[in-house]
Amino acid sequence: MLQIDFQYQKKDLPAGLSKKGLILFVVGTALSLLAFYVDQERAIFNYLVTYMMIVSIGLGSLFIVALEYIAGADWSTPFRRIPEFFAGLLPVLLILVIPLFIFNHDLFQWAHKEAVAEDKILQGKAPYLNLTFFIVRTFVFIGLWSLFYSVMTRNSRKQDESKDQSLTKKNIRLAAVFIPVFALSLTFTAIDFMMSLAPNWFSTIFGVYYFAGTVVAALAAITIAVILLKEKGYFSPWITDDHLFSLGALLFAFINFWAYIAFSQFLLIWYADLPEETFWFLTRWNGGWVLFSLLLIIVHFAVPYFALLTQPSKKNPKILKFIAIWLLFAHLIDLFWLIMPNMQSMKNGYVFSWIDLVFPIAGLGLVMLLFNMLAKKFNLIPIGDPKLKRGIDFHL
Amino acid sequence: MNIDYSQQAPVVAGRLTLAQIEELVAKPMDTKPNKKFFIALSISGSLLIIGAVFLAFSFYYGTGLWGNNQPVGWAFPIVNFVFWVGIGHAGTLISAILFLLRQKWRTGIARFAEAMTIFAVMCAGIFPVIHTGRPWLAGYLMPYPNQHGLWVNFTSPLVWDVFAVSTYFTVSFVFWYVGLIPDFATMRDRTSSKIKKTIYSVFSLGWRHSNRHWTHYEKAYMLLAGFATPLVLSVHTIVSFDFAVSILPGWHTTIFPPYFVAGAIFSGFAMVVTVLVFVRKIFDLEHIITIDHLEKMNKIILATGMMVGYAYAMEFFIAWYSGVPSEQFVFINRAFGPYAWAYWIMVSCNVIFPQLFWFKKIRRTVPFMMVIVILVNVGMWFERFVITITSTSRDFLPSSWGYYKPTIFDIGILLGSFGLFFTLVILFTKSLPVVSISEIKAVADGAQPTIHGGEHHA
Amino acid sequence: MHNNKKLYCIAATFKTPDEIISAAKKVSDSGYTQFDVNTPYPVHGMDNAMKIKPSKLGFVTLVMGLSGAALALLFMYWTMSVDYRIVIGGKPFFALPAFIPVTFEVTVLLATVSTVIAMIALFFRLPDNKHPLHDTAYMKSVSADKFGVVIEAEDTKFNEKSVTDLFQSLHPLNVEMIYYPEEESYPIFQPKFIMFLIAVAVVVSGGTYFTLNKLLYITPFNWMMQQDKLTPQKGSEIFADGRGMRTPVEGTVARGFIPYPYKGQTNPVEVLSNPFLPTKENIELGKAKFFTYCSPCHGYFADGDSRLRGQFPNPPTLHSKRARDFSDGMIYHIITNGQNVMPSYASQISREERWAIVNYVRVLQRAKNASNVDLIEMKKETGSNVTN
Repeated sequence: MLQIDFQYQKKDLPAGLSKKGLILFVVGTALSLLAFYVDQERAIFNYLVTYMMIVSIGLGSLFIVALEYIAGADWSTPFRRIPEFFAGLLPVLLILVIPLFIFNHDLFQWAHKEAVAEDKILQGKAPYLNLTFFIVRTFVFIGLWSLFYSVMTRNSRKQDESKDQSLTKKNIRLAAVFIPVFALSLTFTAIDFMMSLAPNWFSTIFGVYYFAGTVVAALAAITIAVILLKEKGYFSPWITDDHLFSLGALLFAFINFWAYIAFSQFLLIWYADLPEETFWFLTRWNGGWVLFSLLLIIVHFAVPYFALLTQPSKKNPKILKFIAIWLLFAHLIDLFWLIMPNMQSMKNGYVFSWIDLVFPIAGLGLVMLLFNMLAKKFNLIPIGDPKLKRGIDFHL
Repeated sequence: MNIDYSQQAPVVAGRLTLAQIEELVAKPMDTKPNKKFFIALSISGSLLIIGAVFLAFSFYYGTGLWGNNQPVGWAFPIVNFVFWVGIGHAGTLISAILFLLRQKWRTGIARFAEAMTIFAVMCAGIFPVIHTGRPWLAGYLMPYPNQHGLWVNFTSPLVWDVFAVSTYFTVSFVFWYVGLIPDFATMRDRTSSKIKKTIYSVFSLGWRHSNRHWTHYEKAYMLLAGFATPLVLSVHTIVSFDFAVSILPGWHTTIFPPYFVAGAIFSGFAMVVTVLVFVRKIFDLEHIITIDHLEKMNKIILATGMMVGYAYAMEFFIAWYSGVPSEQFVFINRAFGPYAWAYWIMVSCNVIFPQLFWFKKIRRTVPFMMVIVILVNVGMWFERFVITITSTSRDFLPSSWGYYKPTIFDIGILLGSFGLFFTLVILFTKSLPVVSISEIKAVADGAQPTIHGGEHHA
Repeated sequence: MHNNKKLYCIAATFKTPDEIISAAKKVSDSGYTQFDVNTPYPVHGMDNAMKIKPSKLGFVTLVMGLSGAALALLFMYWTMSVDYRIVIGGKPFFALPAFIPVTFEVTVLLATVSTVIAMIALFFRLPDNKHPLHDTAYMKSVSADKFGVVIEAEDTKFNEKSVTDLFQSLHPLNVEMIYYPEEESYPIFQPKFIMFLIAVAVVVSGGTYFTLNKLLYITPFNWMMQQDKLTPQKGSEIFADGRGMRTPVEGTVARGFIPYPYKGQTNPVEVLSNPFLPTKENIELGKAKFFTYCSPCHGYFADGDSRLRGQFPNPPTLHSKRARDFSDGMIYHIITNGQNVMPSYASQISREERWAIVNYVRVLQRAKNASNVDLIEMKKETGSNVTN
């Protein structure tokens, strides 16, 4: 029989969290609505950036939950609820995605009938890039994610009471099925919402590129939540330096992976120098965009690489928290760099506007509200998980 | 079968004592080789000799004996090169990446897989050197101040290959040797033969199992693993650059780097399983290389097989999506052109058959997995064949299309590389500990203190 | 019995990892510093028990890795952008993205290899096969499945009695005194060793000679000296007549060929006119060609004084009235077509050169038959310094 030798007392998160979240959400949403009134095109592009950010955190978190099951990892079990809560963003996407459909004309060149009529290549892509199919597959993907999310997390919560090991087994099977579904749906989401913004451009690695960023963003979000909760005493003494080290090491691995994929994509296109591919990078070399391109190398790779290089820095909660917040920003800049240069008015260079700042505020507020709501309802630690004891005893 | 998830599966089955483990691993080296050993050696040796003879002919009469000709100038040599480099990737993956992921089950197979890496890279290294027909001129690949005042072209992926493969070989070898030092010391202290003792002493460097050394040793091992991990990715990435920096449709596609790496791990694991199945049987290592380990490797084969399948699908989709006629043609041509047979061998062996590993029964049954992993090896060889041949045999100009056929010399040299590989593997099993004695002792039952001595966790 | 030997250390062996951890803790807590633990594999938590500081090996790796990266980048910069610049694929001379793969590989190579070398040579001071611990019963047991601790005699707190007592209090399997081994010496000038050196020298030098002078020149190492291409005057089985060189197809005209309309005529009615002005360069060219081709028979000054010492009938002087009255075209015709015993020089001397010779002959003729007017003109042109 399973023995848990610690007493878990469920505690609510501090009340300030929901208050702060609410303020951020309300202020952010109000400013965003104003943005739509001022400049509809710029607003919807910015909305897309924040939407993709939320997809990254939600989907990446569910992937990490699935990865834990499938790899049989134990060290991440004590704080598995954190990615489970973040994955709770996935059903919300069903609502969040709707403005993107409404303003499709501002976003997607391929949604313009007259543009398609002029362009032979767009006509060739019409069987894939058309609004009906686009909306249908988007809902199918979000539906699948929500389904896997709800079944997997429900099993996990049921285990808190029943301590039934067969639920772990069920989730392992679900996770195994989820991974291929995840790979394909994530790829096509990346193609639909980001690659197709420049409908003549193509790159086979694009899905992998977005995947790398997704995992970085999700891990960063989880790390921040774990460290903040640990600081407030929600996780002590069960989460030790060794757990933090493992999170830091994973973050380190995935920023390297991101850099590897980004470099591969750039090198191959730069080297072959084919006009149908290079224009995409050339746009991102125009005017102010060159700063974003160079900044991305430094912010998304160089700085976090050296910050997380040594063993002590991965164990240091302060450094780790700072770098995790930094990486969330880095991923936001990455998405911004992917999406915004496709705006017709920004093709020749970046022009600053306050609109670029308001959407992430609303997004942050939403994430905080949702996290708080789920944390109120459910245990912060999966107390029924058979691997929990091993996870708490985890030592390097 | 029910698994208790609250317990970690033991790495070493059968509750062996440390002395028993050492006895098991050292047995092949302490006993005289038997008949089976010589039969196996003579088979692989014959293959090696066949390869050597065909190679000698190729050097004497020139590479005109091979099938390479316009328009397919890159054929068997590069196919075999990429195949063998790929095989080599499993070793470093097991020894470095799984080490960093603290997967303890790797200890039983790491040494063997590392050895296979070294041998596979040796086999791979042969092909770029011989493909010019004048291997004695390979010195020009090195950037040294020569009398022509010329330097190698550092922007060429072929030069990157030289650096990548030689670095990979060196680092794998060093990694392997560092792991062997404590085992040489153990062998030195248990042997009674004077000659063996001298040899082991020299290679053990006088290792004393001192804990003041173990501290640095473990640190070094982690550093090496930390470097070997990106290195292993970089090697097959650079191999993929050989193709992908060109502008040939079917070669120039941005997913090549991760796709090649996944394929390399896929084929490498398949080869490791192929060989380990025999080794654990012949040397009674079933307790150390358990069926659990094989199952885990089969799971990795399944996962990487699906990654490869994802890459095939993505290439096809983006070729259609790109709207570039020559891109679209290449993929239609692959699947339905004159080399369709090779393409469908590739798809079925790499994507379809490994799906059988979804079934636990098949993952844990030796004959089943044997068939599948051999099919995977075949499929991965054909993958490189398909990539290399289909794109060059039919490129932009229909007037210069052709159909490539290998000659008996191409096939002979390929067989010879298998001969070299298996000869080295067979000799290795008899001359060095096939399992890391010190590492496997460290993960045996009761090998680690029950208290975390002196360690205090907040 | 061991009185003449120097004590190296006292060693104790234990059976379980728990025992060795507590033993190590005891020893380090008792204030010993020159002690060591020998275990067949690294035991978790031992570093803390022994109070060992974390390894500093990482610094070697970091420094060597960074210098590897710098070295590779600088070297590629120097070779590709400074020493021998070639435009490759339209990329800049310093094509940074294309330099990254090699930079990465060199970084890894230098970092890993130097880490291992530093670890073995600097941190471990290995190879050391003469260490006193080797070939002891203690070493054999810790190499297999026992766990041992040693306290060295060099420790400032070392005292045979107290160390033995400390060990005995821990209930070890065994306590052992380990002594320095006797020094063994080998004289350098042993005949066997000398013979061995000679044998090595003979084999190495002979092998080098054979490789560099013989082996490298047998087939297939022919360094492209034998090639299957057709060399001039060589036969070939491909053609029925067995000849490798082919005669051109009838009517073939060589590149740059211009037909000469008066070929074979002794006294053509009309001739070509000189297309070249007698410039200085043209006359210099004519002089050089005249010296090469004409002077052997006609003499350096066209006096008809052959240097061939009468092997042929001497040609007439070119300063005769008849020769001076020849038109330029006529002299050109004679060079081209030949006259009497003089053969045609058309194949040796190009058209331009022939006209240059004509100009030079004119110079000679005027110099040999100068009039007063010529002299006055020459003085006018060159000044008074040309008097002789």
